[in-house]
Amino acid sequence: MLKVHNLRKRFGGVKAVDIDDISFEQNQLTSIIGPNGAGKTTFFDLISGFTEGDEGKVFLNEKNITNSQPFSIARQGMVRTFQLTKVFDRMTVIENMMFSGSNTKNDSLFRSLMKLSTQKNNENLIREKAFEIMKDLNIDHMADSYARELSGGQKKLLELGRSIINDPKILLLDEPLAGVNPKLAEEILSIIQKLSDQGITIIMVEHNIEAVMKISERVIVLAEGSVIADGNPEKVRKDPKVIEAYLGSGNE
Amino acid sequence: MTIFLTAGSIYLVFILNEEGPLRILFNLLTFAGIYGLAAIGLNVHFGLTGLLNFGHASFMGVGAYVTLLLIPHAAGREGEITDTGLTFFPALVIGIIAAALFGLLLGLPAIRLRGDYLAIVTIAAAEIFRLLVRDLESVTGGVYGIINFSESLQIYKPEFLINFSERFELNSSQMWVGLLSWISIFIVLILLRRLINSPWGRALRAVREDEDAVRALGKNAIWLKLQSFMLGAGIAGLAGVFLAFNYGSLQTTTFVPLLTFYIWAIMILGGVGSLTGPIFGSIIFWVIISETDRLAQLIFENANGQQLAGVRFILVGLLIMLLMIFRPSGLLGKKEELLLDVKSS
Repeated sequence: MLKVHNLRKRFGGVKAVDIDDISFEQNQLTSIIGPNGAGKTTFFDLISGFTEGDEGKVFLNEKNITNSQPFSIARQGMVRTFQLTKVFDRMTVIENMMFSGSNTKNDSLFRSLMKLSTQKNNENLIREKAFEIMKDLNIDHMADSYARELSGGQKKLLELGRSIINDPKILLLDEPLAGVNPKLAEEILSIIQKLSDQGITIIMVEHNIEAVMKISERVIVLAEGSVIADGNPEKVRKDPKVIEAYLGSGNE
Repeated sequence: MTIFLTAGSIYLVFILNEEGPLRILFNLLTFAGIYGLAAIGLNVHFGLTGLLNFGHASFMGVGAYVTLLLIPHAAGREGEITDTGLTFFPALVIGIIAAALFGLLLGLPAIRLRGDYLAIVTIAAAEIFRLLVRDLESVTGGVYGIINFSESLQIYKPEFLINFSERFELNSSQMWVGLLSWISIFIVLILLRRLINSPWGRALRAVREDEDAVRALGKNAIWLKLQSFMLGAGIAGLAGVFLAFNYGSLQTTTFVPLLTFYIWAIMILGGVGSLTGPIFGSIIFWVIISETDRLAQLIFENANGQQLAGVRFILVGLLIMLLMIFRPSGLLGKKEELLLDVKSS
């Protein structure tokens, strides 16, 4: 479904990402873990079009999306979230959702100026769908609050909701549990699990190893930009290279 | 409070001017209308989309020059009347479109820049425009400017306005320009209210909040910003045309950066992101600009003209400072959408 080939990116002298080949299977819930600076977020930036790679290719459903614009990648069904939540602070929660649910045609200046009835109908459909999702995420009671009034966890939920309103095929989640209290983290995890069950391919970067091991079908470990382990959670947990990367080698 | 302040400042005009207060009032209301219109355009850029545009004067300039060069006018030292055969309104439409296209032209390379970088590029572009116009004397009249163009607009002046002006000893030509600029404000505000509450306006606000998130959600942020840039530039172009007609002659010096700063002051006074804010901001601003001389004369009895001009700036600066301290969202801005903490990332 998503294939990466010879993907490399350097920042000055630092090798941020150096990956030979990975492919992600449909419907699989994959987690990418690794120490700080391992290149996890850079990897996301590369495949979602936010950073241009030095070399390598990215294929989404056999289509070459290397160096495509982020919006075009998102329109092809691969949507990402951010490590530091990026909600639209000075817009209401429902506006956040509806903006995401709307498309370019619906947003057009001409239609907006003419107040076309097709637009009004569209908006009603989008609103309905937004409320459905917000109910599932338990943020529907905040619909008319400004997004910046939400708690950190609720912002994560809003960002998640905003990302799934257009029924993506692949969801790239960058630390969906960061800075969230344990109870809400549990809730977000079960939502991610549910999305995966609905058939969305999920690739997640996360530091919370407990959580990762619990829900992932596949775990990829990055260190210094390269894949050092790849497999099911049990296998990765016991891999000596992983233990070394996390704990440091004893020889230094 | 806004209405009170505005009414109060208009009342001030009557107190300070025993002779011909109406004439002074309508003069400053004309300026207020024109600058208010330009500030509404700037508010599309900054208030709605978060674009730091410091080249607003150039959009006004493009609108004014293109329109005036299309109607009968006299440019340059020789000052012969030239004519393209166009009447005022078609020329105005072309002028507005030209301003919008200039916005597109400037935006294509510049709009990717963020925050303050865009501000630097726009202010530089505006100066380049002004100097170019000054040096292209064969087309634009250069430093001699453009004159003798007013007739194209004044032939449409309605009868009632002439009668009204005669009765109160007002300048009917200026009244006509003022009336048109306020009518334009009205129309532009109706259209903008529609747009701001539409999916398009929502998309622009999303761009204002976080461009990366917009791109990640499948929206072309650059194109949205370009549209906003063109719309605001077009509105500025319209204001520029009225400004030229109000002066009766068109000079390149009109479009110095100070014009842009005045419009920024008006927008901030009225409330960034507020639809009607710039109107009130503009009236209050112009009362200050036009009445500080008199006010300062009361305080500093022996001050000369130059010193009084200095006092004018001090008062405007003081007013903006007080406003920022006690009401940072401007007169009509929403506190929840306070915008002056521009993110540069």
